[in-house]
Amino acid sequence: MRGHPWKGALVLVLVAAGLGAGSSSASAAPVAVSLCAVPGTATMAGGASVPIWGFAATCANPGLPGPVLTATVGDTVTVTVTNALPAGHDVTFEVPGIDFAAGPDSAPPGGTVTRTFTASAPGTYLYQSGGDAGRQVAMGLYGALIVRPATAGQAYPSADSAYDVEAPLVLSAIDPAFNAAPETFDLHSYRATYWLINGKSYPDTAPGITAAGGQRLLLRYLNAGYDNTTMSLLGMHARVVARDARPVDGDAEVAAETIPAGATEDVIATVPAGAGPSSHGFPLYNRQQHVTNGDQTGVSPAPASGGGMLIFIHH
Amino acid sequence: MRFTAVLLLVVTLCLASPGRANAIPADAPPTGMVCTPGAVSGATHTFDLVAETGYIDTPDGNSVFMWSYGEAGGHFQSPGPVLCVTQGQTVVVNLTNNLPEPASIVFPGQDAPVTASGGAAGLLTTEAAASGGTVQYSFVAGSPGTYLYESGSDIAKQIEMGLYGALIVRPAAGPALAYGTSTAFDPSREYLLLLSEIDSDLHHAVETGTAYDVNARRDRYFAVNGREFPDTIQDNGSGLLPNQPYGALVRIQPTTPTTAPALIRMINVGALNHPFHPHGNHTTQIAQDGRLLPVPTEHFGETIASGQTVDFLLRWDDQDNWDPTTKPLPVPPPNYRDVFFKDANTWYGGSPYLGHKGILPSGVVTQNICGEWYFPWHSHALNEFTNYDQGFGGMATLLRVDPPGGCFAAPATATPLGSVLKSGTVAGLAADDTTYYAVNPRTTTRPTATTTAQTSITVASATGFPAAPGYYARIDNEVVRVTAGAGTTTWTVQRGQLGTTAATHASGAVVTALATDFTAGFTGVPAGSQHLKVTYKGANCATTTAATCTALTTNLPQQTVKICDWTVGGAAGCSTATSAGWVTLPAPPAQPQGVGSTDVGATWTLPASAQYISAGQVKVLVHTERYTSPSPAAFSTWGNLLALTYDAP
Repeated sequence: MRGHPWKGALVLVLVAAGLGAGSSSASAAPVAVSLCAVPGTATMAGGASVPIWGFAATCANPGLPGPVLTATVGDTVTVTVTNALPAGHDVTFEVPGIDFAAGPDSAPPGGTVTRTFTASAPGTYLYQSGGDAGRQVAMGLYGALIVRPATAGQAYPSADSAYDVEAPLVLSAIDPAFNAAPETFDLHSYRATYWLINGKSYPDTAPGITAAGGQRLLLRYLNAGYDNTTMSLLGMHARVVARDARPVDGDAEVAAETIPAGATEDVIATVPAGAGPSSHGFPLYNRQQHVTNGDQTGVSPAPASGGGMLIFIHH
Repeated sequence: MRFTAVLLLVVTLCLASPGRANAIPADAPPTGMVCTPGAVSGATHTFDLVAETGYIDTPDGNSVFMWSYGEAGGHFQSPGPVLCVTQGQTVVVNLTNNLPEPASIVFPGQDAPVTASGGAAGLLTTEAAASGGTVQYSFVAGSPGTYLYESGSDIAKQIEMGLYGALIVRPAAGPALAYGTSTAFDPSREYLLLLSEIDSDLHHAVETGTAYDVNARRDRYFAVNGREFPDTIQDNGSGLLPNQPYGALVRIQPTTPTTAPALIRMINVGALNHPFHPHGNHTTQIAQDGRLLPVPTEHFGETIASGQTVDFLLRWDDQDNWDPTTKPLPVPPPNYRDVFFKDANTWYGGSPYLGHKGILPSGVVTQNICGEWYFPWHSHALNEFTNYDQGFGGMATLLRVDPPGGCFAAPATATPLGSVLKSGTVAGLAADDTTYYAVNPRTTTRPTATTTAQTSITVASATGFPAAPGYYARIDNEVVRVTAGAGTTTWTVQRGQLGTTAATHASGAVVTALATDFTAGFTGVPAGSQHLKVTYKGANCATTTAATCTALTTNLPQQTVKICDWTVGGAAGCSTATSAGWVTLPAPPAQPQGVGSTDVGATWTLPASAQYISAGQVKVLVHTERYTSPSPAAFSTWGNLLALTYDAP
């Protein structure tokens, strides 16, 4: 786990859900999660500080994205969300693909909302607030929910979803001008300049994903951005295991894969034993060439040291 | 001296433009994917590439500054060369970078290690230094499939500027398979459609060294194989587009039980995901990113995502078989007064039936050659179906569906040549039906009585009889062989031939040739047409008078179908049935064929085409003779169908 960029998030989850990673739970267990939607700041590559609204376990220092939530299939999960956003903004907690028990779905400013569901199908789910017609998502109110199957070390009940290393990859983008004025910004003028994996752009995505040659690497893509995002993986193909938390039939192997906005996709790559094309390893990057960190106007616009939605997989 | 001067001029031209050879081989076909040969030595396939600057032309008259890969010492081209290698080969790519900043190549989808020597470490891969730096990449070509190669340096700028190309890995099993045995295709119908976009503001900024905001990118040109529609339908290597060698016209014929599908290899080297919409038929997607799909899927629209490759098999099934005579459309086509022909220039043939042309309103120019059908294939992001916002153009090409077997022609003229028209007109040869074009052997008369021993005879007329000796004729029931005097009315003959007995004949006896010849001419065959095929179907009947064919089942007349080689004596070379220009159509089937009163049909394929087309004309001769024992009897030749099929250019 050395340098694992999701280490912090996973620790938060373990606290919140009271479960060990990869634990096997054959019987339904109650899982209680507390989240708070709260303003904060995120530091972009290059040092710029951008206002965000994010989810946090307590009402301080929200992350971008929010904590990774995990449950095991059969668990009854109760999520309590506190709304600490400025006045005038109701917060909801939505997970496409999950059916909640009936009840209030929105927390007024200063209030809370509790949503309950049974984790019935394993997979990768994107949670988000649906408030303000997308503005809250654009501000950062999103995160990953992972429902694990009963069998440890697999993404789904099928044995071909077994993996050795996993990496949730929450894809999103930021237009700092919008974040500076989320209530008044004209969305027709929205133009993202930061392109993020788990809230970071390169080089802040370093040290990347560590996996040894021959290990099966599970990449859990979650597209929290507005753009259908195509990610290129150099030096290996990845097998598509599931889309939107539902296993797919057959073994489609891809090198450039589109994750639609709002969708999730799980792929498993067997990491080659040989060296990657780069001295940093095997690049995984936004093939739509969203590799900028903020404004990039110049004769040679992209940052020479690399930027944007880029991360390396290395031994 | 003039000859020497010409030679000097040629040499001077060569020296003045070193390496300005065409970017594709001279023998590249006009449509379909064109591979760049590279150099093969043992199991190593080497390509020497250079990253360089140049310009492309767009259909609206613009000229856009590009960066691209080209062959070292070769002509600038956009996109880069199509690198075709075989699975298991060691691929070596030597890159020389003539651009003003470091450049490189990555090979997405190659899972074997790509080793680099020379150059310097860059972000995504090893780079060649600016202004002349070099780097060598080497890898073992992996699984068969369609891949791309592209810059791994400053990708938001360099890929947009044009540093990309196609990498095709063929299976060791052979070039007629895309992947495994489930993906057999017709190697003569292998197409590459490489999608890209251009923001001309970025290109102008790079050309002039001014600043550009990469987040403000707005693409104005959308290309297939580096060309925008309608340039995409120009031939490979068109002189109109010297720096954009790859055409994108897709040609197919209706599926038959023996045809393999076409292979459509699609690559999106652009930054945008392109929803590509093939009109005309579903395409069957078999692979993505160089890997077979678990299950092929059919599409009439599929998003080719940025950096993706997708392979399709294409069949075109004529499920309805509409025909103007045998199966007309159940609804009448609209009146031309209700139809708008854009620019008075149409691809429509004037007839809704495949392979049939109709009459268009006066003033309307048609690009249609022989009733073929055209369907647009285009990005369904319709802003990309434009050239700088003007529709339509951009990311589009045409699917051309040729009639079965190619363009189809029926004869325009039919002429008895050494025979006498019995019944019918040239229209009888247009279709395989019950209407015939029938000829009888030429006849004349003996003005005087003939004795059994007489070897010099006169005839009333020699017209229609061969001009060269050695042919047979029949007087009453006796066959004579003409050994001299052919072409005149005084013949030297051998008596009692072919099993007959010399006999006396009364004055006025009928002299009949033992052969028929008729010729039919096709018109409007475009120069440059290829793959000529001649189909003839007909019978020989034991009557020269009856309206129906009487049985002829023994001692069959021998039929030979010939075509005029216009390079032998020009039109005069085929003026008579025995002219030197007639060339027997090559086997199979072998000729002559014995043909009785049952129709016999055959199609002959010509290995070459140019010498058989003159000013749009193709001419065919059907020669039938009955020179063999036993005693011949009267016969007539009934032509049912004579057709020409060809691939128009």
